[in-house]
Amino acid sequence: MREEAVLFGETKSLVGILTDPPMRNGNHAKPAVILLNPGIVHRVAPGRIYVRMARALAAMGFVVLRFDFSGIGDSAVRYDNLPFEKSAVRETQDAMRFLEATRGVGRFILLGGCSGARISLQTACCDPRVVGAFLINLQMTENEDQNSDHITRSAAFYYWNFALFNLKSWCKLLTGKADYRNILRALGFQARTQFTSGGKMSVESIQLAANLRMLAERGACVTFLYAECDPRLNDLREAVGRELKQLRTLGNVRVQIIPRSDHTFSSLHDQEKLLKEICELIDSVTPVTAGAPLNQHHDQLPQSVQETLPQHGGNSAGCQGTRGS
Amino acid sequence: MKLAEKVVPFYFGSPNKLLFGCYHEPTSERRRNCAVVVCQPVGHEYINSHRALRQLAARLCDAGFPVLRFDYYGCGDSSGSREDGTILQWLEDISTAISEVRRRMAVVQVCLIGLRLGGTLAMNAAAERTDLESMILWDPVVSGKGYLHGLLRLQKEMLRFRPKPSTAQEPQGYLDVLGFPLSRSFRAELEKIDLSPIAGGPAKNILVIQSGQMSSEVNLEKHFCKTEARLVEYQRFDAPQIWRPTSDGSLLVPSQILHSIVSWTNRLHQ
Repeated sequence: MREEAVLFGETKSLVGILTDPPMRNGNHAKPAVILLNPGIVHRVAPGRIYVRMARALAAMGFVVLRFDFSGIGDSAVRYDNLPFEKSAVRETQDAMRFLEATRGVGRFILLGGCSGARISLQTACCDPRVVGAFLINLQMTENEDQNSDHITRSAAFYYWNFALFNLKSWCKLLTGKADYRNILRALGFQARTQFTSGGKMSVESIQLAANLRMLAERGACVTFLYAECDPRLNDLREAVGRELKQLRTLGNVRVQIIPRSDHTFSSLHDQEKLLKEICELIDSVTPVTAGAPLNQHHDQLPQSVQETLPQHGGNSAGCQGTRGS
Repeated sequence: MKLAEKVVPFYFGSPNKLLFGCYHEPTSERRRNCAVVVCQPVGHEYINSHRALRQLAARLCDAGFPVLRFDYYGCGDSSGSREDGTILQWLEDISTAISEVRRRMAVVQVCLIGLRLGGTLAMNAAAERTDLESMILWDPVVSGKGYLHGLLRLQKEMLRFRPKPSTAQEPQGYLDVLGFPLSRSFRAELEKIDLSPIAGGPAKNILVIQSGQMSSEVNLEKHFCKTEARLVEYQRFDAPQIWRPTSDGSLLVPSQILHSIVSWTNRLHQ
């Protein structure tokens, strides 16, 4: 495996790290993987998870590029007034062109967290070279969370979905050890959100459903990966829950939930689960050779991933592995 | 503000321990004969402060200083895994970065800027040598025990609104601090950190910056008065602690502090 610092894009000002697999021949069948910034965090990502992903995927034979959009991380700011949604898609296509020119790869899998997931989806919709997208905790709209901070949202989601069913939480509540003000604020937020949404499909939901149908028809594989404690999981269910059920039957749309983890996968265990999930799913996007078992590269997973995690359906201290929804 | 800068990402150091660096190259007509090496914090503090340190580098570069930001071994984009980092290794990395900046930029004078644990490492690295022109310590970690205590408190705080991971899920021998593993040996190294025995002058000129009124660390001003270090300036700002996670996930850039660092460096290297 070899890592190389690269500059590319219209003005050669986008900074990235290109990770090549240990051995690569000229008839490289695998698509290249491009990792997109999770929000405004630079290409290393929280917990250095993108570095680990890039190395794990390269060990499986993928060429991987992680880079910073203009104005994020080490990449220079653009001065053409292009809105982020457009410049980010354009820069992702710059990354694809760069990989085509330097590595001869013509098919791509995009992977991004939060807003990076949204850009992955948008690029996939407009560029047929994208054969797969991994959308981690997809941010549904550009301006989400404008009226609330992330902690209030997470708190509301936690109280509503976990604490309500937890004996310890009730004990704390009844013995006066709970933070009542926080609970009231969080529950008020939750009630307000549910009241205002009213179960109506927003423009974004309709658009998302249409995009997913279009990608499924094109044969592109879309995988939603959600942390169980991320409120955005609710957003997805509310937005396209029914559509997803139908789309999943087509086989190219998957939803995977990482149990007990949070938005940034902020524990070591969460990160291992996320990494393992991606490594297991990614070959099924485009199998290397027809007839090859999808998990043929399991023995090439990083050692730490194999050793630390329970197998699917296994039970490790209340953790039931990763499950689909 | 449009800054004139050229950023060159590259790897340097020994082939089996390659370090990632970003060189900010000023335009030739403005270039000064003093290079700046930025020593970043580690773990989640590195992630949270990357944006601010990148902007600081851009501003210093605009003022004519060649700047090298780099990642320690096992951190950021450098080679090695998160578990490989040790204090000794990172001190060696700072020396490698200083050598690289001198080789690449053909300059003699070097200024070290260190934030949080980066400041502590910079001060320790500087204490071992006599060739540093200046040093800026931005909220350095003075006591390793206090730092460790702060990390564990933050980890607890961050777990408030999610189901608690069971201890069986924790990787053996590692403490989980916001997704970064702390090994037993590394914890022991951290606990030994204490800037007070460093009594010599680690650089010819020193600027110490402290953010906020409340600090869990000991009062730096009193501490540095006790040492023999030549303290040129001490500045306290009512600014956020940018290395801490924010409620909305934003990354903070304390413009006032960046401006002050650039002004001080400018004055010193006119």
